[in-house]
Amino acid sequence: MDFKRLKGERLRRVIAVVSIAVTTYYLYWRVTQTFNPNALFFSWALWCAELFGFFTTLLFYFTVWNPTTRTAPAAPEGLTVDVFIPTKNEPPEVLRKTLLACNDLVYPHRTVVLDDGGRAEIEALCAELGCAYLARPSHEHAKAGNLNYGLEHSEAEFVAVFDADHAPLPHFLDRLLGYFGDDKVGFAQAPQEFYNIDSFQHRVDPRRKYVWSEQGLFYYVIQPGRDHWNAAYFVGTCAVLRRAALDDIGGFATGSITEDMLTSIRLQAEGWGSVYHNEPLAFGIAAETIVPFHIQRRRWGLGGWQVFFKANPLFLGGLSLPQRLCYLASLIYPFEGFQKLVFYATPPIALFTGILPMHAMDIYYLLHFVPYYAISIFAFNEMGRGYGGNLLLEQFSMGKFFTYMSSMLAFLLPKRSRAFAVTPKGGDSLASYRYLAPQIAVCAASLAAIAWALAGLLLGRRSDEFIIAVNSLWALYNTGLGIAIVQYARRKFVQRRAEFRIRDNVPLFYRYTNGNGREKRLAVAGDLTPGGLSIVTVGEAPPARTIELELILPRGRVETVGYLAYSRTVGVNGQAASLLGVKLNGMSPARRDRLSRYLTGLAVPKYLDEFSTRYETYLERRLAERRPLAERARRTLALLPVVIVKYDNRPVYGAMQDVSETGCLVETQCAVPAGTRVTLQTVIGADIVETGGVVARMLPLESRHFPEALVGIRFDEAGSEAARRIVSVAENIRGLVES
Amino acid sequence: MNAAVRSRLHWILLAGLLAYGAVISAARIDYNSVFVDEAYHIVMGRQVAAGEYCPGCAAHAGSVMTWPLLAAYADAAGGLYGARALNVAFGLLLTLCIYLAARILFGREFGLLAAAIFLFSGQALYLMKLATYDMTAALFLGAALLCFVAAGRMDSTVYEGAALATGTVLLSLAAITKYILPVYIPVCVVYVILRHGIARCLLFVLAPLSAFMLLFFMFSPYPPNPQVLSTIEEVREVSRLPLRTLMNWTFRWLALAYLLAAFGLFHERFRRQAAGLIVLSMPVIMIHLVTRAEHSVNKNVVFALIFLAPAAALGVDHIVHLFTMREPGAALRRFFTVSILAVVCVYGVHNLRWLERQHPDVAPLIEFFERNGFDGMTVATNGWDGVLYEYALEARFPRARFDHISWFISGEEPNRRLDEGVAFVLCQDDYYGKHYPSALFADVLDSDCTLREDFTIIHSWGETHALIYGRKQR
Repeated sequence: MDFKRLKGERLRRVIAVVSIAVTTYYLYWRVTQTFNPNALFFSWALWCAELFGFFTTLLFYFTVWNPTTRTAPAAPEGLTVDVFIPTKNEPPEVLRKTLLACNDLVYPHRTVVLDDGGRAEIEALCAELGCAYLARPSHEHAKAGNLNYGLEHSEAEFVAVFDADHAPLPHFLDRLLGYFGDDKVGFAQAPQEFYNIDSFQHRVDPRRKYVWSEQGLFYYVIQPGRDHWNAAYFVGTCAVLRRAALDDIGGFATGSITEDMLTSIRLQAEGWGSVYHNEPLAFGIAAETIVPFHIQRRRWGLGGWQVFFKANPLFLGGLSLPQRLCYLASLIYPFEGFQKLVFYATPPIALFTGILPMHAMDIYYLLHFVPYYAISIFAFNEMGRGYGGNLLLEQFSMGKFFTYMSSMLAFLLPKRSRAFAVTPKGGDSLASYRYLAPQIAVCAASLAAIAWALAGLLLGRRSDEFIIAVNSLWALYNTGLGIAIVQYARRKFVQRRAEFRIRDNVPLFYRYTNGNGREKRLAVAGDLTPGGLSIVTVGEAPPARTIELELILPRGRVETVGYLAYSRTVGVNGQAASLLGVKLNGMSPARRDRLSRYLTGLAVPKYLDEFSTRYETYLERRLAERRPLAERARRTLALLPVVIVKYDNRPVYGAMQDVSETGCLVETQCAVPAGTRVTLQTVIGADIVETGGVVARMLPLESRHFPEALVGIRFDEAGSEAARRIVSVAENIRGLVES
Repeated sequence: MNAAVRSRLHWILLAGLLAYGAVISAARIDYNSVFVDEAYHIVMGRQVAAGEYCPGCAAHAGSVMTWPLLAAYADAAGGLYGARALNVAFGLLLTLCIYLAARILFGREFGLLAAAIFLFSGQALYLMKLATYDMTAALFLGAALLCFVAAGRMDSTVYEGAALATGTVLLSLAAITKYILPVYIPVCVVYVILRHGIARCLLFVLAPLSAFMLLFFMFSPYPPNPQVLSTIEEVREVSRLPLRTLMNWTFRWLALAYLLAAFGLFHERFRRQAAGLIVLSMPVIMIHLVTRAEHSVNKNVVFALIFLAPAAALGVDHIVHLFTMREPGAALRRFFTVSILAVVCVYGVHNLRWLERQHPDVAPLIEFFERNGFDGMTVATNGWDGVLYEYALEARFPRARFDHISWFISGEEPNRRLDEGVAFVLCQDDYYGKHYPSALFADVLDSDCTLREDFTIIHSWGETHALIYGRKQR
């Protein structure tokens, strides 16, 4: 995200200032004019909740006032780097993917697994993959203690840290090590990004190709904002730290289960600088259901309380004022649980009892409240630079409020209840409605209160009709938030696939036996995991259950056997297209690893690149210079296998992404420079349709081990018979895939 | 659910909605004794229809050629309840106009929502069973809105012009039915200029409007005159309130509608239309706020509601959009839509209950006169509500006369005397007599009258007393 190129940066800051002024007046008016003398506790509670919201907003605006946009300097050669992967109980298959990705890191390094579980199978895995294995004899100070044990056994100048599920891209170290040319830089942090965008903390709009992540605002706006104040913080993964800096503070900080934040605070208090490189360079597994989400957030909440009360950055020497404010913003967020409780409890209390936290709710109240609320939301959206999403943030606040409250309780309880709880990954997610009880309680209380108040009004027992109406709407809003969380959590409980499938269109051969003997077809994968894939093919589904597969990956093929678990065929105008669901079995570990490396190294970033993670804010839409789009033919999703024959007659396999009667876009496995004359052989079932054309543009995808490129080809003859036939088949495929 | 089932369900819901309006109005059409304005309108209508001299017509705040005439005919057919039932029908027609306008502007579901929001409001339900000119004027205004909206969707210039001209005539009828409604003429003209251009506005709006007004002033028997204006000014003077109080009183009736409409301003597709409708709702409110006159504000808000209902429908849609967290599930949408409408409905029923008891129920007083009065009796009242009793008692005592007490007092203080012919004196200090409290006539009442009965009348806003005095026996 290049903030310098965003439209309306100055104007959005002006709006933020206006919002602060309006809110200040509103809160002053509330405290001086509106308190209900007969319900002072209630009045103060609501006002304090509003004040807390204002305070956090102020800190947010301060933090994100001027987010940085950095360009990575080149990494100097010859640095020594150890890559630490702390683990405790993550499944070996999760760790295997990470280790494979670490081995693929281009910059010379040593990969070290720090196994706090002391598991023999992890030791064997490390031996198999050529990684160092360390298991400490004692397990004090959880993850921080584990990392410190790694430091004791490391001589490297720099350490990179990844969670067990976080697979880095090959160029991770090349991007971050360059920043250490500045001797004051203590650590460089990259965003913690996730590939399973069907997780509990993501919301996907497939139609608009938009994905919202609950942590998007933090990683793409707040961290760059903090970077401006030299207050970016280490998040425990996806970072490189200078050994000397760590030695300066006695290693990774212990004393809090959020060792990452405490480490950052101590490093910055010692005068070390921090860098935030705002580009996803590693991809992990996000909390799949509400259970790991709850465990993770409870841990963060508890860690926050620990740091707040034990090493409060407000009083810690060595930090600058902006750094203190930025850390304060990060530490007080668990209080949000209590704030939200007040907001969720106020309407039911008012509806059940008729008692209001203000002496009157009339037009004057609305005349103050509505402008304040409207400008607050507007300003927040603008300062969120398109990563905010108020409604979704509110949903997640509903999902977390009790978690944060319980983290406070855990802080007050005996020490054993504060143990470091690892976020369950992969198959460890449990389905349980227990974690949804607070949200269900809010919904039930809100609906019961509405029914009670309306009945009172109908029976003539109450006469506060406007209060009832407003509070009913408020209670319904809270109900909506609760229902959304319950619904989404429920949907995740019943998800069918063991692994998140990544949409990727590698060309492949599949063979099967039928009455005519052996058949061989060239097709394209619709999506892919090491455990299975879907195939889009022209023609009927094969009658056999077992099929042989040959995935044509860049720089090599992966052969395996698959079991046809599912098939669906559509046909229009005599053309049939089929979607096959195939389970992969009998793949050798080496082939499986190759597929896994391809997925983490290229397919994941390519897939996520298709999605936008931000929306245009109102100001950006208004200020955008709308240039009329160049007229182009309507394109249709294709997913057809193609062979590109260049002037040197070397065939290149590829997958057609979309097609029109004038040209097509092909994903190929090697670069084909713009201007090259090519012959395109499109495989439609058993037929090959040949078209001549010129490469109009070429975009190479960044991957050292699996080179690919997107190639735009302009057909020699627009609207030719061949082009029309391809488009007609593509229409079928589109219908098949989109249905 | 397929399209045919959805369509059938839609019409069933619309029919159910209208049935709700009809039932809830008709079920308690006898909610109160005749209100003074109801009696005035009917009596004036009769006088106009019979070609008799109409003393009240010149001071009436609306043309007697519209509602009073209709009321007189309805009264002739079905008495007071007949006149009230006519307004029930007008109210349902107005609901249909709002439905159609919102449907044309935004779509079928919005039409239903707008109709529900309007019909669920206490003001609409109340005015539907009040035999005064308010609902008739509202119907004309709503029909004018429908015509103007429909004009924007016409393909042919002829139809467009016809719709605009019809809308103008209906707007003119609204304006003459109740003299506060000309405030809508400028905003409608601006709307037509913006939507259809100056030329069409001149041709299809300003020209018919001028012609209509010219004809009205030339041929109407009682066009607005200085007497009406002075009456209005007098009423304004005596009903002035501080701005804050007036705002609270005004928005008491419209707060929910405005709150919902405010959400319409954030509607993804129709936010501009929502803003336009909110602006169109404002003139009648602004008149009250600018003049600080409270008189009839709780009835006049129905005119604002005609424009607010479609905007509020957009608001409900947007709120549901928010509450469902933009999830596409129909069941959740229905749940929240029904929940919000339930709140609007109960809110409206509560307001209706209040409005039904805002005017005094003088049935016990009427019964008193039925028991103790006689044909040809003269009753002095300290208010201008005599027509109410004359109307209520006309079947039994057609020659009974109820007039203001000041007409029957002779002499100078402290030796004032009440005319011998006055059989009873009726004092309602807190309501009809509030401009002439009985204390002004204490000397006369003490010397010439004796208290016959003290009636306690319960209103939604408190209790008042009505005192009936008889002649002192000498």
